[in-house]
Amino acid sequence: MIKIAIAEPSSMLRIGLEQLLRELPDAEVVFSTDNLNALYSRINALHPDVLIVNPLLFDYTKRATLRAEFDQLPNLRIVGLITAYIESQHQRQFAGIIELNDDLQRIKSTLNQVVSSLQSDSDEPDTDPLSDREKDVLVCLSKGLKNNEIADELNISVHTVITHRKNIVRKTGIKSVAALTVYAILNNLIEQKDII
Amino acid sequence: MNTQNSLSPKMKMADAINRYHSLLTVLPRLGIPLGFGEKSVEQLCEEHRVSLPLFTLIARVYCLEDYFPTANELQQCPMSDIIQYLVTSHKDYLENKLPHIEHHLNILLEPMDKKYSTLISNFYAEFRKEVEKHFLYEEKVIFPYLRQIISEQEATESATYQKHTFNQQHDDIEDTLNDLSNLLLKYIPAEVSPAERVDMLLDMYALSNDIAKHAMMEDRILVPYIQLLESKRHD
Repeated sequence: MIKIAIAEPSSMLRIGLEQLLRELPDAEVVFSTDNLNALYSRINALHPDVLIVNPLLFDYTKRATLRAEFDQLPNLRIVGLITAYIESQHQRQFAGIIELNDDLQRIKSTLNQVVSSLQSDSDEPDTDPLSDREKDVLVCLSKGLKNNEIADELNISVHTVITHRKNIVRKTGIKSVAALTVYAILNNLIEQKDII
Repeated sequence: MNTQNSLSPKMKMADAINRYHSLLTVLPRLGIPLGFGEKSVEQLCEEHRVSLPLFTLIARVYCLEDYFPTANELQQCPMSDIIQYLVTSHKDYLENKLPHIEHHLNILLEPMDKKYSTLISNFYAEFRKEVEKHFLYEEKVIFPYLRQIISEQEATESATYQKHTFNQQHDDIEDTLNDLSNLLLKYIPAEVSPAERVDMLLDMYALSNDIAKHAMMEDRILVPYIQLLESKRHD
């Protein structure tokens, strides 16, 4: 689940965006505000993964160094909500950009990109073994099921299946389904007779 | 120090190889045998009728991470020789490198439970078939096409499409090698052929590196060259 905070001065926009984001199964808006003071006071406690913020909320002098305002949250990804002209060098500090005309699909792919960069950026090596859910997905993959079939089988969204698959590849260092199947059998997750 | 100069024609071949070990796989493909004493790169190229610009180009792609040849360097080089080099590399992979790895693999899998070892050797066999298919496709379809363009000194629009074909398939080969090394490194129980496994992994890393360079030759030399011909044609 991606935790999102929104800071946008226009309530029309803010509420509209919240409404749109509600349609994304893996995103949750944990906080939304129209002013910076509220944002500063709540953001440390809420630990959102992504902050969608309108740079116009910041004084012109601070706009260029907006990222530095959140230095204490190194894993926070900041997405700019652009509603008026903003210099391109100011836009560049954002991990992603949402514009007024973006549809849900576009916003979704922006958020996904931002979040996946969050995962690969982390310096901590991932030493966790596969979670139970990831093992379930792996077993389905080995049986030759496609993403949508796995989603049906495990009662989760296709998007979640893809996230699990990414994590499996990241943790094992193995990309192909054929090699993952070998992994599954070596680890006694499935029997050879189960694979097609 | 200027890195480009670290591979100058006047350099002793032995110094070049001591510095860049991966060049060792390049020499036999160009027909330059070992035992060359103190001879320089330039001398050896002349002696074995290898074009010096070609050797320099290949060596730089192999040894310098961020090397992209200039248009001038590309033009000095007989492109049909590069294709010949790539074909010889394919042959080297299929006749030497892969059988060598396969040999290691068989010894390594020997003490394992049959139901696991069959799985891994099947995986390897599939991989090998894919590699053969890919090389064959390049040799039967792509290379003849490139030779034709080069000989006619003109390119057609479909050249850009071919570039795409190159990249994708090499990535697949590297990915599969990488999958296999991770299986051997991480998931085969500790007691299975420890020494053999280290040897095999070293061979696989070397092969993977070589295939990555092989792909770079196509991406950074052949494709830009074709584009160069294209742009000339449009002028």
